[in-house]
Amino acid sequence: MNWISKIKQKELPSLFFKTVVFLFILFLLDFVFGTFLSNLYSKQKPGEFYRISYVIDSTKADILIFGASRANHHYVPENFEKRMNLSCYNTGKDGQIILYNYAILKSVLKRYSPKIAILDFSRDEFEVDQQSYDRLSALIPYYQSHPEIRKIIDLRSPYEKYKMFSHIYPYNSLIFNLIMGAIESHKERKNTHEQNGYIPLNESCYRQLSEDTSYGSENLDTNKIDGFKSFIKDCKNSNVQLFVVFSPILVKFPHQDPSITVAKSICKENDIPVYSFINDSSFYHTNFFATDGTHLNDKGARVFTNQVIDSIIRDQEVNLSKKILVSKQNISNK
Amino acid sequence: MYVKVSYIFIILFIILVNYWLGILIQRTDSKQRKKAFFYLSLLINLSVLIFFKYWNFLIVNLFEFLGWLHLNNLVSAPFLDIALPIGLSFYIFQTIGYITDIKRESIQAETNFYRFTLFTIYFPKLLVGPIERANHFLPQLKRKISFDKENIIDGAKRIAWGLFKKLVVADRIAIYHSKVISTLEHQSRDTILLACVLYTFEIYADFSGYTDIALGTARMFGFHLMENFKRPLLAKNVSEFWRRWHISLSSWVNDYIFNPMALKYRDWGQRGVFFALFVSFVVIGIWHGAAWTYVFFGVLQAIALIYETVTRRARKKISKKINVYLYDTISILLTFLFVTFSLIIFQSQTIPDAFKIIGRMFTNSGPLYLYPSIGLFMITGCAFMMIYDLQEEYRIWSFSLFSNKSWLIQEVAYALLLIYILVAGVFDGGQFIYFAF
Repeated sequence: MNWISKIKQKELPSLFFKTVVFLFILFLLDFVFGTFLSNLYSKQKPGEFYRISYVIDSTKADILIFGASRANHHYVPENFEKRMNLSCYNTGKDGQIILYNYAILKSVLKRYSPKIAILDFSRDEFEVDQQSYDRLSALIPYYQSHPEIRKIIDLRSPYEKYKMFSHIYPYNSLIFNLIMGAIESHKERKNTHEQNGYIPLNESCYRQLSEDTSYGSENLDTNKIDGFKSFIKDCKNSNVQLFVVFSPILVKFPHQDPSITVAKSICKENDIPVYSFINDSSFYHTNFFATDGTHLNDKGARVFTNQVIDSIIRDQEVNLSKKILVSKQNISNK
Repeated sequence: MYVKVSYIFIILFIILVNYWLGILIQRTDSKQRKKAFFYLSLLINLSVLIFFKYWNFLIVNLFEFLGWLHLNNLVSAPFLDIALPIGLSFYIFQTIGYITDIKRESIQAETNFYRFTLFTIYFPKLLVGPIERANHFLPQLKRKISFDKENIIDGAKRIAWGLFKKLVVADRIAIYHSKVISTLEHQSRDTILLACVLYTFEIYADFSGYTDIALGTARMFGFHLMENFKRPLLAKNVSEFWRRWHISLSSWVNDYIFNPMALKYRDWGQRGVFFALFVSFVVIGIWHGAAWTYVFFGVLQAIALIYETVTRRARKKISKKINVYLYDTISILLTFLFVTFSLIIFQSQTIPDAFKIIGRMFTNSGPLYLYPSIGLFMITGCAFMMIYDLQEEYRIWSFSLFSNKSWLIQEVAYALLLIYILVAGVFDGGQFIYFAF
């Protein structure tokens, strides 16, 4: 009881004593609020956080779609399920890059191996850009529970591992979203027309076909290139059939982007099929696109998804016939 | 981050020149020589400032002028591809003030070179001020500094508030504001109006937040830097606003530009005062950056102050007829609206850009673009900051968490503040708004 009597004393306690008490209060509050936020996060049902948790911890889909917003809004799982008779989930997330996708793949592969992975590759995917690292914050809530993705999150900054001492930091800026997500009557969340991860866009486009004569960024990020290589390597090691797709955009690009050039050569080295729909004139229709001309609307997404499925089926058939031919040759050689 | 080691020589050059000329001004008995040394210092300081900060601006405008005369093809424009040394405007103004004070014989020149160097580039104030005065800061450097736990605690508290303003309020609004302004053509008038109103809170929180951190850091080392903000958003008129906003700059301009000019042109009567006001506020405007928008911002402030001077009696009569609380509230709101309006010009790259923002405020109908969570973060941040300011200004509640008599309650309050910074602060670019979708 000595410390209580010290607090009551009129004379101020020492700076050291005050600092210790302050730090104790701070850590206690951090722990209490952090635990509260963690519980709120884990209880999210529909919405963005739920989708990440579902992909990392629960999905067992045969086909997984990876990429950023263009992946999320371009690939319709329903079409894959109907035409290929395989379950499908779209993991695409707004504003994310290959490092996020690789982290998701790593956590998935820890549980099971999907049959097919489709990676939607964006122009300038490998460009040097700090913001893309900042956006890995979406993965921070999984830092403690998923050690396999820690190295990727640590790329955000050299101090990231120290920030993780705080229980609140992983949920920074999420409090209102978490509270609203926890309130069942929150209509906006309930009206999210999510279909196995795919979020359709129903807007119409306000832009016309344009031309981008830029050469793209030459300054490429080696971390991102390594992430792409590792993505391919892990898929191969886990027998996941990987397809890399450059999806359509309402812009003509006369020059190939350096990121795409590098990605294509890595895919070629690793024998990964690449489907490019960039500069595909069959998609030069404004009624295929939503608002800004960079994302397909639902109508465009369904046409595009069917074309991707056609390409995959065609490739699989060619591969199958190749395999049959090789096995026949082996039998005849014997 | 852009680092250029050679820029350290600019600071060293400024320190050496002003140290040396300061001593020369004091030692010489000849008034003419005093004047010559003073103007030499002024010339060097302003040349460095103009070269790094205003050169390209001057060249652009010179060549535009030559273009009107069809003479712009005679020579190619000598643009400079140089970065502005950080904090240059702050320490140049500080040294100009120092030299002027010596010439006026209101202070003694500092003869200790190390002390003068510390006065010029004392690290907490180097980047964002305040623009210190020699008679306030130099005596502090001369006294013996001893460890004081109260300084440590008070400084830490000030830093915590600064972090709150910067990370929770300013950086949060900045995400929304920059997104709205960069996609102006697709935004509704309500959205643009909201972004512009929030910008006033953003710039206040940003600048005063940085200042709090600077003042808090200096305090921990035992130094008291001058206050730079005194709850400016509660000002009842524009002249009061400028007595509360960026005080170190406005008082500097008052002491070294306005007062000497008003005195010089006293024969002109009120017109002399208006002229001095006009010049002073153009200087305040252009000090912020090399663009016509800043000049226009300064001109607007001068017009407002001239209006207030002219209508002082009429406004006083009106105030006597209206309830004092109502009059004060309306005055605060009108001042806030004027500041918000002038900051539209301040935030724009060009004057046509500013008019574009203003024009769209009256034409683009449509829904308000604001996610509930983003709105809640901004509103709670601003509300918290303003409640704190209101309490400091009017002492509405007798109970205060942050200046409670019990140190334990204070500690809990500040711990909660830090927790809120962790919960709602913006620590990197991860909190982006993916606008289109």
